[in-house]
Amino acid sequence: MTGTTAVGLFHDPHSALTAAGRLKDAGFATPELMSPVPLHGVEEVLGEKKSVIKHFTFFGGLIGGISGFVLAAGTAVLYLHPTGGRPIIPFPPFLIITYEMTILFGILFTVLGFFISARLPAVRNRVYLPETAVDKFAVTVACGNDEQFKRAEAILRGAGAEQIREMAEES
Amino acid sequence: MAESNDLKYTDIHRDVVRSILETGPTYYATLATTVSLTLVCFFFPWFYQLYYGIGAAGMNQPNVWGTYLASFIFWIGLSHSGTLLSCVLHLTNSAWRKAMYRSAEAMTLFSLMVAATMVMVHLGRPWFVHWSVPYPNQMEMWPNFRSPLLFDVMAITTYLTGSTIFIYMGSIPDFAAVRDRTSGWRNHMYTLLSLGWRGTDREWHRLHWAYTFLAVLIIPLAVSVHSIVSWDFALSIMPALHQTIFAPYFVVGAIYSGTAGIVTVMFVLRKYMDFGQYITRVHFDNLGKLLLVLSLIWTYINVVELFTGWFSGASGEIEALRYRLFGYYAPLYWEMIAFCAVAPLLCIFRRFRTSFVSMLILSILINIGMYTERFLIVGTSMSRKYLPESWGMYVPSLVELSIMAGSLALFVTLFLIFVKIFPSVSMYEVKETMNTPKAKTATSAGGPA
Repeated sequence: MTGTTAVGLFHDPHSALTAAGRLKDAGFATPELMSPVPLHGVEEVLGEKKSVIKHFTFFGGLIGGISGFVLAAGTAVLYLHPTGGRPIIPFPPFLIITYEMTILFGILFTVLGFFISARLPAVRNRVYLPETAVDKFAVTVACGNDEQFKRAEAILRGAGAEQIREMAEES
Repeated sequence: MAESNDLKYTDIHRDVVRSILETGPTYYATLATTVSLTLVCFFFPWFYQLYYGIGAAGMNQPNVWGTYLASFIFWIGLSHSGTLLSCVLHLTNSAWRKAMYRSAEAMTLFSLMVAATMVMVHLGRPWFVHWSVPYPNQMEMWPNFRSPLLFDVMAITTYLTGSTIFIYMGSIPDFAAVRDRTSGWRNHMYTLLSLGWRGTDREWHRLHWAYTFLAVLIIPLAVSVHSIVSWDFALSIMPALHQTIFAPYFVVGAIYSGTAGIVTVMFVLRKYMDFGQYITRVHFDNLGKLLLVLSLIWTYINVVELFTGWFSGASGEIEALRYRLFGYYAPLYWEMIAFCAVAPLLCIFRRFRTSFVSMLILSILINIGMYTERFLIVGTSMSRKYLPESWGMYVPSLVELSIMAGSLALFVTLFLIFVKIFPSVSMYEVKETMNTPKAKTATSAGGPA
């Protein structure tokens, strides 16, 4: 056991967002929302989110582009095959290989960036409510002690939570 | 999505999970049929060809390319609308995309797989396919990256990887939703596939951005793939093939046949998977408009191709075009014009676009026409090279015809397996188009803090 988490289950997204905002204002560590669809207005309540994915995409593309050109040009130099007086390293066809490898590595690094920044795949059990994959909305917040839990419970209930549960994350 | 507004989140959840878990005898009978057809029409003739040699196919000088490559272009083309259209509609925030894109993307994936298999069949000695891949070897030989065939290897590998990742990433939330409703081996499978997805605000935010970046990367990739396929032909010095219009011609043709393919798949899903509430007349109406625009662009490019060939004044070019229009294959050419340039004009009428059966028939006709187009590109050009002594004629053998038909059975088999593993309608995106649940009772809650 690493701590207790207060979980409020809501019928509608508006109440869940309200609860999350109030918990944040009350000084709780950033509450988490779980929902069956992406929620609009989360950033207004919990603050702007930044992701590092774009950096992964950019550097992936860059690495791919350089690798693509080096692959085509390097192998052409390693295995010389002069044809009709054309250059050993011709740019038009090699730029096509560069282009494809830029996109390939851009895609692969984007996925890597997504996994790292979304903390997937999950390697330990985390607080989860299957109802939130169907039609419910949940707000979870970490509580260090009973007093905090009671405060969180009051806020969640005040915002209109249908159910409030106390859950523990397993390590 | 007028119909969707009356639905609740639980309805779409129930319907999609049911489409995966509940399997009736019709499904098994169809699967058994397509698997049998794949074995008998595709794999058996292929093994026959491997055993007796490539002579079992009707290809010979000067027609060294035949239906295998025509099928390859066709399947690559069919792959185009799925992921490409999905990406474009995602970036333009088109709500009507949401109910149909998953199946469209699956179409891309399986078309690409079938296309890659067609290359294997065409190779004659598929066990040497790894020679096209750059890897260190004791002969110190490397592939020739100046060749469009190597561009193909790189482009198709990238497109297959990109399409697989794109459909998978978009399905992660739905895998998680299905995971919670399954048990046994299915639960293990969906647990693995969903990677521990919980639907938190962080996960949704990251998925949105990753998905958007992937869409941005895949659009130019898809355009490049069919351009490169066209260069397999256009970079040769053959009459009727050596044309600069070929890249846009192939790309438009690909999107055209792919969109028609989506109409066919949408009809089948609507009819046989009971997705009538989610795949509506709105989808067919919009796809009909798209088909109309694409058919006009495709027709224009065909006219340009004929005009530039005639205007070149080159005797070889003019003979190749004359042969295509009035020679042995002329009935096929005019069939293609009738199916791909004339018939789609019916989409001008809204009544036609919103008729499911009419659109199904049109989509099948378009794809027959588009297959013919690919056959004509390969067949007629090879038959009329510059010197009359190298003229010839090509008629596909029984082995080739069987493999051509078998490739369709292979595609359908893969699709049938897909609908029982992947949620074939994106649950979370259809939910996004619905009204969000309202609070049951008035609470003290105000607006978001």
